[in-house]
Amino acid sequence: MKPMLSPEMTVAEPVTGKAKIEVKDLNFYYGDSKALKNITLALPERSVTAFIGPSGCGKSTLLRVLNRIYELYPKQRAEGQVLLDGENILDRSQDLNLLRTKIGMVFQKPTPFPMSIYENIAFGIRLYEKLPKSEIDGRVEQALRRAALWGEVKDKLDASGLSLSGGQQQRLCIARTVAVQPEVILLDEPASALDPLSTAKIEELIDELQAEYTIVIVTHNMQQAARVSSQTAFMYLGELVEFDRTEKIFTSPREKRTQDYITGRFG
Amino acid sequence: MSSASSLHGRRKAKNAVMMTLCAGAAGVGLAWLALILGALVYKGLAGLSLSVFTEMTPPPGDAGGLLNAIAGSVAMTIIAVAVGTPVGVLAGTYMAEYGRFSRLSTVVRFINDILLSAPSIIIGLFVYELMVRPMGHFSALAGAAALAILVIPVVVRTTEDMLNLVPNALREAGTAIGAPRWVVIRSVAYRAALSGIVTGILLAIARISGETAPLLFTALNNQFWSSNLNAPMASLPVTIFQFALSPYEEWQQLAWTGALIITLTVLGLSVFARSLTGRKL
Repeated sequence: MKPMLSPEMTVAEPVTGKAKIEVKDLNFYYGDSKALKNITLALPERSVTAFIGPSGCGKSTLLRVLNRIYELYPKQRAEGQVLLDGENILDRSQDLNLLRTKIGMVFQKPTPFPMSIYENIAFGIRLYEKLPKSEIDGRVEQALRRAALWGEVKDKLDASGLSLSGGQQQRLCIARTVAVQPEVILLDEPASALDPLSTAKIEELIDELQAEYTIVIVTHNMQQAARVSSQTAFMYLGELVEFDRTEKIFTSPREKRTQDYITGRFG
Repeated sequence: MSSASSLHGRRKAKNAVMMTLCAGAAGVGLAWLALILGALVYKGLAGLSLSVFTEMTPPPGDAGGLLNAIAGSVAMTIIAVAVGTPVGVLAGTYMAEYGRFSRLSTVVRFINDILLSAPSIIIGLFVYELMVRPMGHFSALAGAAALAILVIPVVVRTTEDMLNLVPNALREAGTAIGAPRWVVIRSVAYRAALSGIVTGILLAIARISGETAPLLFTALNNQFWSSNLNAPMASLPVTIFQFALSPYEEWQQLAWTGALIITLTVLGLSVFARSLTGRKL
């Protein structure tokens, strides 16, 4: 039985839908400085949740806890619970590599690997699945189609991933993430380095992907949060100030700090 | 007004003096280099012929070539690179990847920098004590070992530097799709740093191809063809050393020609290394 969202887990009134990820009393430290303070929230399955807030508020940190990518660096540690389908991913016994195949991540700057477009995607698939070439071909095509990139690259799959434009590179990274068939996709300001046209394409893509994936997006751009997400969490100085349906946050927030931020009075 | 224009004049004069000094210093430096290279090409070319590459080093007063010296240099360089490169690349990988945040890396880096600037004759003496004396004779193996010790710090340094240039975002991206650490290093970091690492290896080859001192104590020399790694072996630098100091004209000519061959080889390697670094993957 998967856990359901209950009112006490959310800061605001319950957001509808089954919880895919539940964060409970999460504290995060960079060395001695505390970057996240008692975060508790639940991310509903197959929908888009946005984290907004001024720089340094902890939104990216929170995202980086969800796939434990912070473990790459010393002196960073998390306390509390992060439940994926009820299982605590902060548990020491977690196989991190396996966890990350379930929770994919796309970064602010496009990060294509220094290899061909085809290899960029096949790389992740081959890590955990032994498939014949024909099946990998199929999976690569499927991933590129899903990331709305197939039409643009189908004739140059052997070209370097770095030869693509910034927007295409970012969609390649999304395709790469989708190709390993994760359940959750974390997006860390995925469009902030892109032009408006590419941004629109990425947002369109996010909208389509939420039918199958639980998506969490960190963004500086409030219009973007309003456009793509169903729930929005506003964070400030390491605290979760308010978490609610996106339209509620942007039309009638309960907290004054949220109100001030979305109207541009600070941050 | 007049004081302003005199200030301007003084500044212009100072500028002219400084520029003359700088240009002069650059000119002096370049002039010596040009003279050396000019003499080398002039004297070296005179003796450059096919027989240099096909005949053995001659006895005094005879005509001959440098075949055994060239082959010896190539053989010892290949062994040195084959031994030194894996050690250097792996050590550099430890410092830039696994041990990025560890104290050991700082210590290793410090020691490596010392090794990097250690006079090569000391390396030669070290291998002499370590291999030549216990074995009782000079050998190509000892020569190759000395050269390998010279290769390692160069490769360690460039490997670490090049891996440090790989953006962390790329490592995070590899990690984020579930790749284990060593796969990220092998398939992502190495690939991104490949041209730089190869450049480091080429520069290490360039560095050792002119080394004489470490070979004097280890491989010594051999006037004849030898493919026995357990025996003394000829090399270009030592042959040049010996021939250049000799009173025989044929030997002196071969020394010039050998020096030209080394210089051209190093030049070729450097140009190749540059073309690699300049190229984006």
